[in-house]
Amino acid sequence: MEAITITLDGVAVSGYPGMTILELAQESGVEIPTLCHEPYLAPVGACRLCLVENEQSGALVVACATPIAPGMVIATHSPRVIERRRVIVQLLLASHPDSCLVCDKGNRCKLRQIAAELGVGLVELQRIPQAATIEEVNPFIERDLSKCILCAKCIRVDQELVVEGAIDYIGRGFASRPSTVNNTPLEQSECTFCGSCVAICPTGALMEKERAYGGTTSHSVDSVCPFCGCGCSISLEVKDNHLVRVIPGTASPVNRGTLCVRGSYGCDFVHSPERLTAPLVKVNGEFEPVSWEQALERVASEFNRIKEKHGADSLAVLGSSKCTNEENYLLQRLARAVIGTNNIDNGSRLYSSARRLGLERSAGIPATPNSIEDLEQAGVIMVIGADPTVSAPAVGYAIKRAVRYRGARLLLIDPRQTKLAQFANLWLRPRPGTDIALVNGLARVMIEEKLVDAKFSTGKTKGFTELVSSLKKYTPEYVAEVTGVPTQDVVLAARLFAGAESAAIVYGNGITQHVSGVDSILALTNIARLTGNISNGGGDIFALQRENNARGAGDMGSLPDFLPGYQGVDDAQARGKFEERWGVSPPDGSGLTALEMIEQADKGSLKAMLIVGENPTASFPDSALVKNALAALEFLVVADMFLTETARLAEVVLPAASFAEKEGTFTNFEGRVQKLNRAIEPIGDSRPDWAILLEMARYMGQPMPYSSLQEVRNEIDELVPKKTSVKPGLFIPVEYKPVSISGDGYPLTLLTGSVLPHFGSGTRSLRAWRLKKFSPAAWVEVSGGDAQRLGLADSDPVKVVSPVGEVTAAVRVTEALPQGMLFMPISFPESPVNDLWAAGVPDLKTCAVRLERMSADG
Amino acid sequence: MGEAKALTGPELEQIEKIIADYKGQQWALIPLLHEIQRVFGFIPPPAIGPIASAMGLFPSQVQGVITFYSQFYTEPRGKNIVRVCRGTACHVRGGKTILKLVKQQLGIDEGETTPDFEYSLETVACIGCCALAPNIVVNRDIYGHMNPKKVAAVFHRDGGQ
Repeated sequence: MEAITITLDGVAVSGYPGMTILELAQESGVEIPTLCHEPYLAPVGACRLCLVENEQSGALVVACATPIAPGMVIATHSPRVIERRRVIVQLLLASHPDSCLVCDKGNRCKLRQIAAELGVGLVELQRIPQAATIEEVNPFIERDLSKCILCAKCIRVDQELVVEGAIDYIGRGFASRPSTVNNTPLEQSECTFCGSCVAICPTGALMEKERAYGGTTSHSVDSVCPFCGCGCSISLEVKDNHLVRVIPGTASPVNRGTLCVRGSYGCDFVHSPERLTAPLVKVNGEFEPVSWEQALERVASEFNRIKEKHGADSLAVLGSSKCTNEENYLLQRLARAVIGTNNIDNGSRLYSSARRLGLERSAGIPATPNSIEDLEQAGVIMVIGADPTVSAPAVGYAIKRAVRYRGARLLLIDPRQTKLAQFANLWLRPRPGTDIALVNGLARVMIEEKLVDAKFSTGKTKGFTELVSSLKKYTPEYVAEVTGVPTQDVVLAARLFAGAESAAIVYGNGITQHVSGVDSILALTNIARLTGNISNGGGDIFALQRENNARGAGDMGSLPDFLPGYQGVDDAQARGKFEERWGVSPPDGSGLTALEMIEQADKGSLKAMLIVGENPTASFPDSALVKNALAALEFLVVADMFLTETARLAEVVLPAASFAEKEGTFTNFEGRVQKLNRAIEPIGDSRPDWAILLEMARYMGQPMPYSSLQEVRNEIDELVPKKTSVKPGLFIPVEYKPVSISGDGYPLTLLTGSVLPHFGSGTRSLRAWRLKKFSPAAWVEVSGGDAQRLGLADSDPVKVVSPVGEVTAAVRVTEALPQGMLFMPISFPESPVNDLWAAGVPDLKTCAVRLERMSADG
Repeated sequence: MGEAKALTGPELEQIEKIIADYKGQQWALIPLLHEIQRVFGFIPPPAIGPIASAMGLFPSQVQGVITFYSQFYTEPRGKNIVRVCRGTACHVRGGKTILKLVKQQLGIDEGETTPDFEYSLETVACIGCCALAPNIVVNRDIYGHMNPKKVAAVFHRDGGQ
């Protein structure tokens, strides 16, 4: 591309073709005021403030929408330009309320800033009074459209980036306003309260709803969202050591100035009054606050005593996929080098993420190597076992953008009608647990119809003939019978996927949380390889991660069978490296997985545990058993922000600092390592997990020699290979094994999953007041047909009963579910859905249940 | 915009049929809206959802287009459309009073429809026959040189239809 040179305020500057005058000016450090321009939105030229003068023609043009042309001579601040800008601002102010004194937008208001810069004060024009029309029914957004300047940013971010389409202009001229369909309140519209429009609004028309007037924040700190695996960049706005609000970071290609309701409104758990502020030690069954010295001494002496008496393997460490990379590294070093055991795992074990990551390396399955931007370029996107609009909203946005604005075709495989269904070109609704049969069926059609990428499938990848013979029985007819998906749809789906230049597969917990999760991943890998869609631009496999650092926890070796960087615990060369650095040889032989830890604790062979940032009592299957097992331990230490159901069982509880109070890095689902920065001082006497771990090692008499986090990072850089070599591809045939989900007396199939606005087991999201207010309690979704059959209506209380347990919830009738299927959210401890599952295999997605009506008084 | 009243089965079917001809053609939104208005006399709000999904647009966008143009209607209109000219020439010749009289005659305000759906009242900026000012237009007929007596006569005569 040839550079284009123009003269900007007398200086020659160059840009690339297609660049606008405004973009080039911003790049060259020339400031042009604007109210409607935003880097990730298409220019509309609505506010006209960025007028500049073309000195050759004398024309005034809008800089945001005018492309540069060779030889242009542009004046950005000529007297004519300034005069026009002043008039525009005066016109805007003439119909803008004078409520600046009491407007919470305060000094953040762009209109006010620009008016001040241009020296526009009292407006001499006739005023058009605007009556305030404050709408504040929902707990997130306060709308006062009398302050709207019609820049359309909210509409554009909603339609172009979030792709929800909840709002657009209604009416025209003076009467036009952003509005929902039929002008309903936001909560009755498609709005998901992602807050992106609020962050982008230049005036006080859209504002975060806060408890009280927050005043001007003193500074903002860049960080990473602590919720899902997307790893959106956020900016924490701080005043007096208080996190006032969270706004989207604008520089990150992951979220491009958007967030979801959790990121925008979920972070005030940081200031929850329930935060632990001092170490607690149980004395006679009651917790008593103690000093850090006392608590750590107790921990160290008990750990050392138990280790001496029962051996190192009687201790175990459960780390967290919410802790930073550095903390996970320290955790596994504490387990391996200080305690001397491989009994180390992290919470993502529950949804097989940990196992999958290991598998990726051993079977040559590449980890999600591509970025969200690549995904957006794919010609076909297949979404299976995932509802990214809820579990990974930034990925959901990208998929919707690809479909609506890039002509990508969406192949949705989901029994539930998720929000993506309206974007899908083909939507298959297989019975739960039959994914492998369906995917194998697709593979067979691709091979039959010679839709495979011959070079890739037979050349680069071994095992093609074995695959072909293994697929014999998966005819479309057989697949239709097993899955309930019509034969023609199986064929169409295969053609759609194989026919694309690049086809992406996006999967999530709907795949990994099933018993056969790993096999499903192999089946998906087979079709990706068959069609040449491994590292094929957007054509690739994208594995969503539930927790923000699920990937990092695995990368850092919080796994019983892998040292950091997926180097096997029995790999002599790797062991040598760590021994040299640590001065202690890492123990050999795989340790206990998270679920085995609970099992062994229950049996009494595990004596002590350290749990950091996890709440297995709420998140593991069969919570009663987990509770008993943890209570049976001789010594349990929990480090957490809150006194969770798990922490209550501990002997010692250590108060941990939140993400906003510490530094470190998180690795998102793409593998992007992102830095979080400290925005506020730790609450009370809490400490970051990494500091707790370093102290713990010191008290145990084997200090880990780091004086700063940077030194931990240096060691990681040194010992963890940046990229493990992916073994050559291999087709691995997998068989569909029928699992009977429904059983006698339990005719319904319950699916569980995450919901907006909550997250995980709700430890944090239920302590964010706005999220809690918006969605305070669990519900159970019942299909219209079943509701009619059982005589149930919205908000009827029911009991959901499985062979193992029961929970209560209120009914929500929905047309989004096929008959025979129920759905429940997982994030409400008062309705602990995990009670419905038997301990052991972590198939936490489906379960056979029946519904029992409850009388209104319980 | 009015409260969305549910459509009857046949109405919905008819709308679906009209939409089908335009499916996937975003450029055709306005011709499609015209067609629906031609058949129904207005665009029933419940049609917005199906129109949007056929066009690959958001319902809010379709609503935005409908409400932008003053001649798309989202409520049923009267059999007879009365337009009172509020152009300069008519204004000078008493157009404002004529409008007041028409409102009195029909018992409705500008932009409204009589409860029996006989008349809808609108104003226009100019109809191009200023020589006859002040004017009103009923459907496609122009009534010039209006005065209180003639206004009463027009509606007396048309009211019986």
